[in-house]
Amino acid sequence: MLRRRLDDTGRATCDILRELDPEAGLPLVHASRHGGTADTLAMLENLQGGHPVSPTRFSMSVHNAILGVHSISQSHHRPLQALGACGDEFDALLYESFGYLMEGYPAVIAAFSESPLPSAYQGCTEHPGTACVVGMRLTLNQGRQLTATKPTHCAYPTPITVMNWLNGDAPFLDGRSRWQLRQE
Amino acid sequence: MSETCNLTLELKRLIIDTLELEDINPSDIDPNAPLFGEGLGLDSIDALELGLALQKQYGIKLDSEAEETRRHFASLASLQALVEARRDN
Repeated sequence: MLRRRLDDTGRATCDILRELDPEAGLPLVHASRHGGTADTLAMLENLQGGHPVSPTRFSMSVHNAILGVHSISQSHHRPLQALGACGDEFDALLYESFGYLMEGYPAVIAAFSESPLPSAYQGCTEHPGTACVVGMRLTLNQGRQLTATKPTHCAYPTPITVMNWLNGDAPFLDGRSRWQLRQE
Repeated sequence: MSETCNLTLELKRLIIDTLELEDINPSDIDPNAPLFGEGLGLDSIDALELGLALQKQYGIKLDSEAEETRRHFASLASLQALVEARRDN
């Protein structure tokens, strides 16, 4: 029932979280640079027009709304963290996830998404140009090893560039660090 | 169709559209079943949203803290009684 309040990006994010953590037993970290700007903009437009603000839009305008809906619908009671980092979301996701792993959690689910950007904001900020979401299950001892080195230039990865890198279309991913996956 | 039936359907559509109840048809809403918790399974945010819709559509203002409001929102039938008694259009 709660899913109806999510946009397509939120629904895709929840699908990924459920797929990667079917037992709802792992910490979840979700990053989005801009969050649900459509809800925020609609509220601002209502206020400007002297109209009341929709309680549903208000409830969904917080940055942890997607994780909140997911945790209620899946009865998830582990740590949840929503973050925005002005373009450094990918690095922040990995550092926060690493913290949970160091605390002893066997794995952490990290999701990175962007909702569509309303036309009023086009050209005012960087955006991948389309709605997108990517998810990863991170552990300390399974799968391909991830290494970080100093990049030549820092960059702001989006979920699209992360997907391309994970697909093997790029040899590394530049954020605050240069991230590389060891070959299998 | 009588005025009462018209209003019943109108309120069902108002609930479905306002709360974006996907996969629910007007015929799925039992006028006497609870709207919140069990029954339709709505929550407190839906109650606020519905209150706003009643204000916009029928000019009815409700006190969200009042016990009386809880009774008005018990079922579609009680909501309909409220609208019939207090609508301004």
